[in-house]
Amino acid sequence: MRRVFRFLGLAVMLLGVAGSARAELKVVATLTDLGWLATQVGGERVEVAVLCPGYQDPHYLAAKPSLSRQLRKADLLLYNGLELEVGWLPLLIDAARNPRIRPGSRGELDCSQAVAEILEVPTGPVDRSQGDIHPLGNPHYLLDPRNGRDVGRLIAERLAELDPDGAQIYRDNAARLAATLDERAAAWQELAAPARGQSVVVYHQLWEYLLHWLGMDVLGAIEHRPGITPSPKHVEQLVVAARSRTRTVVLAAPWDHLDVARQVAERMQSPLLVLPAAVGSTDEATDYLQMFDIICRQLGAAFSTP
Amino acid sequence: MRFLSIVLLTIVLAALPDLPATAQSASSTATGVSNLLNPAISVNGLFWGQVSRDSDLPEYNRVALQEAEAQFTAIVDPFWKANFVAAIHPAHAEEDAEAKHVEPGGVELHLEEAYIDGRSLPAGLALRLGKFYLPFGKQVPLHTHQFPFVEAPVAIQLFLGDHGLTEPGARMDATVPLPWYSNLAAYGVNGDAEIFDAENRDLAFGGRWNNLWDLSTAATLELGGSFLRGPAAASWESTGHLDVYGMDLTYKWISPRRSQGPALTLQGELVFPRPQGSPGRPWGWYAEAQYRVLRNWWLGATTGQADPDLPLAAGAPEFDDGLTGKVNEYKFDVTFVPSEFSDLRAEVAYYDSESGDDLHFLVQWNFTIGSHPAHLY
Repeated sequence: MRRVFRFLGLAVMLLGVAGSARAELKVVATLTDLGWLATQVGGERVEVAVLCPGYQDPHYLAAKPSLSRQLRKADLLLYNGLELEVGWLPLLIDAARNPRIRPGSRGELDCSQAVAEILEVPTGPVDRSQGDIHPLGNPHYLLDPRNGRDVGRLIAERLAELDPDGAQIYRDNAARLAATLDERAAAWQELAAPARGQSVVVYHQLWEYLLHWLGMDVLGAIEHRPGITPSPKHVEQLVVAARSRTRTVVLAAPWDHLDVARQVAERMQSPLLVLPAAVGSTDEATDYLQMFDIICRQLGAAFSTP
Repeated sequence: MRFLSIVLLTIVLAALPDLPATAQSASSTATGVSNLLNPAISVNGLFWGQVSRDSDLPEYNRVALQEAEAQFTAIVDPFWKANFVAAIHPAHAEEDAEAKHVEPGGVELHLEEAYIDGRSLPAGLALRLGKFYLPFGKQVPLHTHQFPFVEAPVAIQLFLGDHGLTEPGARMDATVPLPWYSNLAAYGVNGDAEIFDAENRDLAFGGRWNNLWDLSTAATLELGGSFLRGPAAASWESTGHLDVYGMDLTYKWISPRRSQGPALTLQGELVFPRPQGSPGRPWGWYAEAQYRVLRNWWLGATTGQADPDLPLAAGAPEFDDGLTGKVNEYKFDVTFVPSEFSDLRAEVAYYDSESGDDLHFLVQWNFTIGSHPAHLY
């Protein structure tokens, strides 16, 4: 009998431990970068799932109905916004049938609200002769760590709203994250210092925030109309422009058409840098900090070698 | 006199007050005219051209509008989201045109879909009210511009109607609590699609259960079963209702590490119509494969069969190519997709049946303007 009581006591204790370790909020992030930020800010009080793997181009994620299962029980949906996920997120939200994360509810958060300066907002007429452009501006703001810092703060405020008991923890974590990112940002800029003032050719208009932060310029994009295969004439013009420079490099994400990027780089007689464009987009870019370490080190090295 | 009119018009126009740019929005409270809450609008144009090896009929040797669709989508209020799809088709034949008071060679307009989706239902339920495509298998719910080949498989056209099963009624969806994605849909509709008897007062009803498994981050397998019952149309030679059973299996693989990289879809579907009191046991099937070989290029191949299993004299359903009895189909196509908003397709389709065979050469082009909702997986 005593053994039975001991067993029951142990079971109750284990259940108690399991209960205390259980997350208060289920958070689903569309992107790995947002998932990492949510984990840093939410700590043990949140359980984070991510819809788009880091190695996949977030423009073209397939809206598999199975992904809606993760959204079904979510308390908070974090998304990039600026129409980056417009091809798949509305379908998944509809399929999830979860009123907590419907647009307009407290359980959905467009993280682009935290961004102080949206780049490349079209000022003239917008139509699809310009390709599959983002009419609200360039959505790849998470490639500037200052935006990551501000998004972290925004997430903390929303978590605090949904889980007031953890409000102070979320704000403390966001402050700690901001301090880390600010400190590391200075070191990253130092690493990439040889690239400051230099121009690069990009495959897709993905790197503008990063280059803006590092004081670099874009000479041109291989895919000059987003989502459209580049024309030979455009590539030729780009090659001529690049050859007139003393030095440039071609930047591409791992999911880009690297065979095309490689051919263009060879014709330009420039190196091709395939950089991580999201957490998990390469095996080495295991977190947001590591991602900028790799990016800045490679950019600095590309422009420091004679 | 004409000169005087022009002078007067000029004076009147010059006298009109110049509205500031913000005046329209500022005055909408008083005028009730505002564009701020207009729905997302898109228009899709689908054209085709075809040449038949054996048939001299003009409908198999022409370039024509296949379908044009205008779609309007908006949130109605906190409780409903609405979708309207109006389709314009060519008037198919002179007798049809006469009956519907449409000039031969003209077009006819019909409301393909008009429904509201509930947004606040409890327990993961979804409700759709209005006119909508019935969830039967994988091809029936598709709009014409979404077909992977120029036309739907012959089994679908023959047994479920070549104009699609779109009906007014109600549909309810529920999530089945299983370790994989599983959805159950049930509906009750008016029963006035072409496979049903519109004169009958009975309703049509049915359901679909589909399940999807992630085999990996790149691949999925989907298995679905569908059922439909309604008052049988006269062409079925039935004394009562028509039951249709369906089963479908789809494998999809999309290269996850390359933007718009290789992708493969393998899909098959079985259809079993069972008209009450009919001696026959009709059935049909198709199997198709589509592969994205390059960023902008898809290749496709399909084969299928529709077997009405009825003597030709007994009024068995007839495929609209004039082919009767058991019909086999073989199609190959190549599709160029320069962007998400347009594509060009070339196709060779071979049909053979108990009454003969035919070879068709087809081209199709499709374009979309405006804010078109993303297509389902």
